[in-house]
Amino acid sequence: MTNTQVPDVRPPRATAASAPPEAPVRLSARDRGTRLLATLFLAPTIVGIVVFTVVPIVGSLVLSLFHWNVIDSPRWAGAANYREVFTDSTVLVSFRNTLVFMVLAVALQLLIALTLALAVNGRMPMWLRSVFRSAFFFPLVLSAASISVVMKYLFNQDFGVVNWALGLIGIAPVPWLTSENSAMAAVILVYVWQQFGFSFLLFVGGLNNIPKEIHEAASLDGATGLRKHLHVTLPLLSPTLLVATVVGVINALQVFEQPYVLTDGGPGDSTRTVVMVIYESAFEQLRFGEASAVGVLLFVLIMAVTALQFRLSRRFVHYQ
Amino acid sequence: MTDSHVTRRTLLRYGAYGAGAAALAGTAASWDRLTGADIPGRDDGSLVVATLGPAYGPEAIRTLTEGFKKVHPDIKLRINAVQATDWSDFFAKILTQIAAGTAPDLVYVATEGVQLFAQRLGVALDKWVKRDAAELREYFADVHPSLVESMMYEGSLYQLPVEFNAADMYLNDQVLKRAAAGFPAADWTRDDFTELLRDMKKSSGSQFTPYFWTNRLWGGVVPWLFANGTNLLAESKAPGGAWLWDGFYPSAERQGRGGGFRWTTPQATDARVEESYDYLASLIQEDLCTRPEGGNGQNLIGVFSTGRVGVTPAGGFWAGGLHLAGMEPGSFDVQYFPRWRTQRMQFGAAGYALLRTSKMQDEAWEFIKFAARRDTLMRLFETNQTTPARRSMLTADRYREIGPRHWQVFYDTLDKFPDTGPIPAPPQVAEVEQVLLKHTGTALSSRRSVGPALRRMQRDLEKAMERDV
Repeated sequence: MTNTQVPDVRPPRATAASAPPEAPVRLSARDRGTRLLATLFLAPTIVGIVVFTVVPIVGSLVLSLFHWNVIDSPRWAGAANYREVFTDSTVLVSFRNTLVFMVLAVALQLLIALTLALAVNGRMPMWLRSVFRSAFFFPLVLSAASISVVMKYLFNQDFGVVNWALGLIGIAPVPWLTSENSAMAAVILVYVWQQFGFSFLLFVGGLNNIPKEIHEAASLDGATGLRKHLHVTLPLLSPTLLVATVVGVINALQVFEQPYVLTDGGPGDSTRTVVMVIYESAFEQLRFGEASAVGVLLFVLIMAVTALQFRLSRRFVHYQ
Repeated sequence: MTDSHVTRRTLLRYGAYGAGAAALAGTAASWDRLTGADIPGRDDGSLVVATLGPAYGPEAIRTLTEGFKKVHPDIKLRINAVQATDWSDFFAKILTQIAAGTAPDLVYVATEGVQLFAQRLGVALDKWVKRDAAELREYFADVHPSLVESMMYEGSLYQLPVEFNAADMYLNDQVLKRAAAGFPAADWTRDDFTELLRDMKKSSGSQFTPYFWTNRLWGGVVPWLFANGTNLLAESKAPGGAWLWDGFYPSAERQGRGGGFRWTTPQATDARVEESYDYLASLIQEDLCTRPEGGNGQNLIGVFSTGRVGVTPAGGFWAGGLHLAGMEPGSFDVQYFPRWRTQRMQFGAAGYALLRTSKMQDEAWEFIKFAARRDTLMRLFETNQTTPARRSMLTADRYREIGPRHWQVFYDTLDKFPDTGPIPAPPQVAEVEQVLLKHTGTALSSRRSVGPALRRMQRDLEKAMERDV
């Protein structure tokens, strides 16, 4: 898109020489029309955001101050739901699990995606590159629940293909989904397997946007292999890395399907996540107020983590 | 706003925008679009019945709708088969419908939800049962009182049971032969059971598990607790119910009956509960049984039918399931759950609950009666996907082609062991079940974990039972 297609709707900036600063700025009829048109185009999106995002957020906030079991009318609870949440060991464990999951899953997801993006972006026939891109992205378009059902069979301790294959090389069956030590690892593996395709595509796009001249100049200066990636590619890829990290973190903090289907949060609470607790509290135990309080806390956590990422990005992200 | 800057051209353009927007709005308004009234059965005067989707396929729905139409052509009926993975998921979806103001008139409810629905949502059927006593006498004569009692709450009857499943033991014939073991006797003990598992393990390879079980309220740890003469929650009977027992059952069958079960004080730290968990932990340690796996045992049919599992607890529903999986009638059989201190077994039953919000309660009662009729159930349960609540339906003919040989076990679990009872499902069942599954997982990680995990289970159960639903 060129600049000529985007009309400048900003009012002409008044300068001290041409007009006094307090003088009202009169828009031309054309500018007013353009502004109206822009508003009309934006309206559906704004209405959508208000109806489907703002209203539910406010609704959750209000509901978190009430006791409500769907059947009876809501009763005022004040901060009782929040007090309950902070003393409920299941909720606290779920927050810990979610944070652990987020850190490990996002790190692994980015590492795999970046490594594969660099590999695919290297010397490789175009058709093979397309095959890899499609193959790595494919799991993302599948339903997480369906994938988890299949993975549950594969990871079954007694009858799963994974343990059968390990048995061929003499490794004893691993209780992937039934041991507190390995269940989280299995959930992370399944999640990362499905999700890394998105980061991979972002990285491939980001790598393609790095001018070849910079790499050539680095090569002329004697940079090779890993050093070139660390000191040239990564800094130039940092804006993409930021986007991939932010999106990855937000998604990971809301993980639900994989632990729900694979382990149902167990063994014990070892893979119970915050969104699972919200679902169970609301739709299984009919405690919508407490579920909303947990939802509000998760919202605050996501906002805080995202804000922190953007703040830290000032030091690590380099824009060309 | 002044009009000094509005040129003719601008005016025409705005006019065109306005006309375009009006045309769009007009077109949109004139389109046929979905409204609340388009939801099947809503606001069209139909009696809406919500059933568990996976258990009610198109054929079953047709059987119910067409059969009911013949009997009551004046009542429009709509079956809403709600897709859900298990009862807990099903109830969650029904409650969401209630919250959305689209509550059905009747809901198919299993033992897991009987007391929850009775306490908060259901209508007692007492007045209709009393009114139509003559018509119902044949039904009650055919249905074991334990099933009926499991549908009572605080003296009133909330459902007429149409099906049930007790946790009996299925045995794979091929595995028994491989182990050179005979079919167990009806009064086999826990020690006989353990020895059989050991024999099976010795005669099979590493990809074989003698005993498979699923960690859930029905058929998980609970059958072992019952066999050991204990329960997760202290069990008692509510007073009342004499109006029903005196009216429909002979004195021998009335003995000890009350107004429904009460499950109150948690007793996870009871010595016998600990002993039951310790036994299961020892089986796991000896590699004789699987670690508790959550879910609904979807993969079990496959591994059982291919001889990779020897024994598993299941109900009459499995006869149809194994047949569909290709197992021949003689390749599996069923026996009672083994005796420990007792041979009391556990079951879950299901029937239709009438919701308080229904404006068609009399019509709903007619459907409840229709759904419990013998001819209806004969057509509905043709494929043996469950155990019919009516004793007369369990015949040699029914099981001749699909097995098992000892099909009588299904109903004799009630007839020969009259203390057999429902799984513990108080109104707080969702939380109780979650606590049970959660701590069972950790309790059975090793024998040392049993005690601490059961103490945590006790604490969480106490908290769950204190809560109002």
